[in-house]
Amino acid sequence: MIEKNNKLSSKKDSGKVIMTAVSYVFITFFTLACLLPFILMLSSSLTSEKSVIINGFNLWPKEFSTLAYKIIFENPKDILGGYIVTILLTTIGTALGLWIISMTGYALQRKDFAWRNKITYFFYFTTLFSGGLVPYYLLMTKYLGLKDNYLAILLPGLMSPWLIILMRNFMKSIPHSITESAKIDGANDFQIYTKLIMPLAKPALATIGLFLALQYWNEWYNAMLFLSPNVEHRPLQLYLYNVVTQAESIKNSAANSNVPPQDMPNETIKMAVGIIATGPVIIFYPFVQKYFIQGITIGAVKG
Amino acid sequence: MKTRFKLLALLMVLVLIMGITGCVKSGETSGTQGQMTEENKSGDISKTDSTEDGEELEFVELTFLMMGNVPTNGQLELAMAEWNKILEEEINAHLKIEWVEWADWLTKYNLLMASGEPIDLITSGDWLDMWPNAQKGAFMPLDDLLQYAPLTSADITAEEWETCKLDDTTYFFPEQNYTQYVNHGFYYRGDWAKEFGIDKVTDYESFGQYLQGVADNKEGVVPWDANGSKFDLYDGWIISETDSLELLMVPTGYHKAVWAESKENKYTAYSPIFNDTFMEFAKTMQEWGDAGYWREDVLNFKGDTRELFKAGQSGADQHHTQTYRGLRWEMDNLIPGSEIGFYPFGSTRKNLTQLSIIHGATAIGANSQNPERAVMAYEILRQNEEFYRLFVYGREGVQYEIVDGVKTRPEGYNDADHEFYTDFWSGREDKFELPTDTEYAGIYDLWAEFDSYAIPDPYSRFIFDRTPVEAELAAISDVTSALGPAITYGKTGDPEAAVVEYREKLKKAGIDKVLEEVQRQLDDYKVMVEGK
Repeated sequence: MIEKNNKLSSKKDSGKVIMTAVSYVFITFFTLACLLPFILMLSSSLTSEKSVIINGFNLWPKEFSTLAYKIIFENPKDILGGYIVTILLTTIGTALGLWIISMTGYALQRKDFAWRNKITYFFYFTTLFSGGLVPYYLLMTKYLGLKDNYLAILLPGLMSPWLIILMRNFMKSIPHSITESAKIDGANDFQIYTKLIMPLAKPALATIGLFLALQYWNEWYNAMLFLSPNVEHRPLQLYLYNVVTQAESIKNSAANSNVPPQDMPNETIKMAVGIIATGPVIIFYPFVQKYFIQGITIGAVKG
Repeated sequence: MKTRFKLLALLMVLVLIMGITGCVKSGETSGTQGQMTEENKSGDISKTDSTEDGEELEFVELTFLMMGNVPTNGQLELAMAEWNKILEEEINAHLKIEWVEWADWLTKYNLLMASGEPIDLITSGDWLDMWPNAQKGAFMPLDDLLQYAPLTSADITAEEWETCKLDDTTYFFPEQNYTQYVNHGFYYRGDWAKEFGIDKVTDYESFGQYLQGVADNKEGVVPWDANGSKFDLYDGWIISETDSLELLMVPTGYHKAVWAESKENKYTAYSPIFNDTFMEFAKTMQEWGDAGYWREDVLNFKGDTRELFKAGQSGADQHHTQTYRGLRWEMDNLIPGSEIGFYPFGSTRKNLTQLSIIHGATAIGANSQNPERAVMAYEILRQNEEFYRLFVYGREGVQYEIVDGVKTRPEGYNDADHEFYTDFWSGREDKFELPTDTEYAGIYDLWAEFDSYAIPDPYSRFIFDRTPVEAELAAISDVTSALGPAITYGKTGDPEAAVVEYREKLKKAGIDKVLEEVQRQLDDYKVMVEGK
């Protein structure tokens, strides 16, 4: 530390330094606390099942084993196919979803659009009730004929009322005068939307894009319902979910009595699945983090 | 402007209403459609007289819905090619398997049933909501179709058919020719028991002696490293010490609070918790807990007792006969001379119920395009040895070899490349089943012993309607889950006081009302069963 002549400032300085030091220590511990579960997951996925059962989970594998990964990668074709489907679904779904949601959100807040609040309420209204699973299933399979069709998992995510309303509220903070002046300059509505509004709405796009991307990345339920095993490549999460449940059900199935239960490494498989499923997200996240932090504060200050 | 908005609002409401009613309507129509096609079909059946040999059948593709994940190693397709040769020759059809995967299987299965997709053969059973699905019209009545499976049908007795009926209509082929026991009990180390001078564990008393022996003589071994979420200690006591029969359809949480009195009085419901035997149980378990037969923090222990047992760190383990079948063989290889013994709870007082014959059952889909041919295929599956073994075991020489009448794995077999399964659990036949070299050979003697005193499941058609006592059942479940574990593992400190409190709370929760309701429904059930 450099000694200062001015008492007051040195006081201030030392206070600052202490404050900074405390903050750093705190942040470091907090980071470690967040990191621990991941390390635990990674180490457990590389431990032999027996050791996990007898010693519990440890931060360092007591008995090293890659059996869990071996079982999951038994069919590399499936995992690769799963990744490809999931990545395509995520990119297409996010791009398309952002486009539709942002257009809707923009239109719904234009002050010169008379019924904007009515229609917004109509969107919101659909979130209050659900027809139930069976009608939904029948609608998708019988009436829309989307069984075994990738559209069945792409479409439901594209128009999320909740995201539309979020988008609309953000767009409200963009001054209406921008739209008006552009109109006077002779721009049509679509030009205003692409050239002026979209660049201004970047933080919102990033946030909502992240929501969409996560939603598509973790999509398994619709895939489970509408993509039967006849579809060769299904989303990664569904494949992994099946690996886990297969291991469990073989162990517990009372009906399955002919087959002596194989020694499936249940616990370690779960951990390995976790690693495989979250890995890409963790790698990708730092790149969009700054937008996300901006986005979190959407509507916090600006009304 | 205002009127315009009103109009719009009206329009929206209309659209919504139409949407809702549309749903209902379409549901109705699809239901009636289903019935219509059924009627048409049965009409068709009466028109087309039974197919004579030599009459040309046109080629059809049949599907069989199974529970399980899709095999990906190509073995299924190879076996399918083989069995389709047989089918083509016999009934000019091919049979392929549709799978319902294990991920959220019950939801998915029931959706498939509701959607009315044209599946021909369907795996069903008491664990697959068979009755609700039959009520909703997911299955085709079989009465007119049985003629296409003459041998299989003749093999099923009138009494057995009764179990497959809903409102006098047959919906299922039962799995009545297959032995499987899933009655629970304790596994213990036979070699250790001999050391302690115990020849065979036959009841709770001798099991307690065995556990004491482990505690005294085996350093570092927990006599029974139990997992506190397991409740079978109590079930076992009731089965072993009384003649009561389980009523699994009355869910009461951690402890089964409602039982039937005995084989003789199988339509009399009562609660053993209010009898002296339960007090006896609580006191004994307090002694066992104090003696350290399980770990101190048993109620929070979530470990895998089976693995600990295999590793020689637990002196006992608890599960059912089917598990013993494989476990004994495994342990004989793992720890030669361990001679794992099995004490089935039911053996003490010869109190044993067979697994219901509709635990696995096969139905024909309501919208099946070729119900007659589906039944013919099912007949071949259950009557043609070659086809059966292809379907259940795979291809001889690849998946299995028969050496001295025992199924073994051929040289070079490995699971990844050669594993084969169709998960056919709804009509297996003992006559075609083979003993395997990966099971305990003594299992057949054990079965024979069980067969000598087991009674058929008396409640397989008893569908308990919970609605009148839904609230009480929930309250009882709360009580059993709160107080049950501590009593079961002797962690109350004062078992007598705990049992008194337990009984009081159960009374408050409405156990009497539940017993009354169960009794009322059992009386009706008795009339239904014995009135025939």
